[in-house]
Amino acid sequence: MAKKLLKYIVILVICLFVAYNSVYFKKLSDVNATGNTFNAAAYSQNYLENDLLKSLNHIPSTDTILTFIKANPNDAFNKYSHALDIGNIKYFMTKGSGTVIAIDESDIYLKTTGNQNIKIATEYVFGNALRDAPGTININDFTNTADLNNISAEVDKMVRDSILPPFKKQVKKGDQIEYAGAFELNQQHLNTDSLEIIPFYLKIKK
Amino acid sequence: MLVLVFSACRNDKKSVQHKKIAVIVSTLNNPWFVFLAQTAAAQAESMGYDAKIFDSQNNTALESDNFDNAIASGYNAILFNPTDANGSVSNVLKAKKAGVPVFCMDREVNSVNAATSQILSDSYSGCVDLAKCFVQALHKKGTYVEILGLVADNNTWNRSKGFHSLVDYYPGLKMVAQQSADFDRNKAMEVMESILQAHPDIDAVFCGNDAMASGAYQALAAAGKANHVKVFGFDGSADVIEAIKDKKITATCMQFPKVMAQTAAQYADEYFKGKRDFPKKIQVAAELVTYNNIDDYIAFGKKN
Repeated sequence: MAKKLLKYIVILVICLFVAYNSVYFKKLSDVNATGNTFNAAAYSQNYLENDLLKSLNHIPSTDTILTFIKANPNDAFNKYSHALDIGNIKYFMTKGSGTVIAIDESDIYLKTTGNQNIKIATEYVFGNALRDAPGTININDFTNTADLNNISAEVDKMVRDSILPPFKKQVKKGDQIEYAGAFELNQQHLNTDSLEIIPFYLKIKK
Repeated sequence: MLVLVFSACRNDKKSVQHKKIAVIVSTLNNPWFVFLAQTAAAQAESMGYDAKIFDSQNNTALESDNFDNAIASGYNAILFNPTDANGSVSNVLKAKKAGVPVFCMDREVNSVNAATSQILSDSYSGCVDLAKCFVQALHKKGTYVEILGLVADNNTWNRSKGFHSLVDYYPGLKMVAQQSADFDRNKAMEVMESILQAHPDIDAVFCGNDAMASGAYQALAAAGKANHVKVFGFDGSADVIEAIKDKKITATCMQFPKVMAQTAAQYADEYFKGKRDFPKKIQVAAELVTYNNIDDYIAFGKKN
């Protein structure tokens, strides 16, 4: 009897072992993520430091771009915008300075030295503006578009985690600030009234 | 001299007429892909080529047969909408080995050297814009469901990742279920019905394409929840454009299948004329469509 019981226990243990190792649950997104060797975080860190921050001296001012767009939109898009995509969405690198006229949970509202009203995004820092605006990244250098998309996600994350928090803590209405970043415009349905800049450089003037 | 010129022109026209372009599409069970395939075929025919559409029915084995048939039947180029980012690579390589250029439309294959060029929709960026709209529409809190497309397709994950790259920063938004419905309207309806049994109080559904958004909306309407639950899709199909006008569906992302199909056919034409330096990949921007800008758009595109 004891021998029979032992036999059943052994069979049960084996069945449980096989069952435990046969069935497992994983998020579909985790399954899909396996096997990717591209280090988006390292690439993006280098991109932020070398392609974005070191280009500050060569970026056109927001006042210059907006004046040009209002006078001759096609030439302005040809001269200043970039996009990895074909279509109507284009991205511009820009910098400038101005006075903070309002702050809400998503944006800082600024009047630039050239009297333009713009917004600096402080909440929705997402998307491809910072990746595409400089025009330095080539889509064909990447095996699949997921790698390319991860660059946007990582660069935006660095801005949200490192650049925005200390700035948001200190900035207040009336401050004079300097900024650099990128913005998006739809070339076919042009609207510059609610221009929102995704920043990568922010400084409160003393 | 005139005879020679005339003869050259005749020969040139004859060679164009004798070239055949195969349009191999993942499925014709979805109006969006029907539009993509028909536009590609029409564009090829407008340039003087014979064109034929092959339906892979979302099946890589059938897709492989379609490639074999196209190659054996002497098609000179393939305008291709793959079923599987990895699984379709071997089919493209098979055509490449046979000297037949392949131009991918909308969906990519995971190889930079297989296809002559890939003309893709920028699903990731579109879904980042969609996610911002989603967060704002739900006022940063609520429970939601995600219905994914084909698990083996990169667009499925590019859309999901674009969406989550933003939404996951809001702890008040909780995803209670994530299931695949293979980009299929009927499957999405079944998936939604089943999810509603377990989670009857959801606030929103994000679907990886418009066919699934329509299916999910149908299930919600049948359950009497359509007025409360916000539905988001991706594509810009006729049904969803109308549903956004009627405030039944909250938003979608407009892809431009006409641009992709015409570019692919144009590239095939240029290939026949000797061009070889094509960009390996180009993306077409997708644009957010809501009730606020619906007048700028029509099904599958933008009003001129």
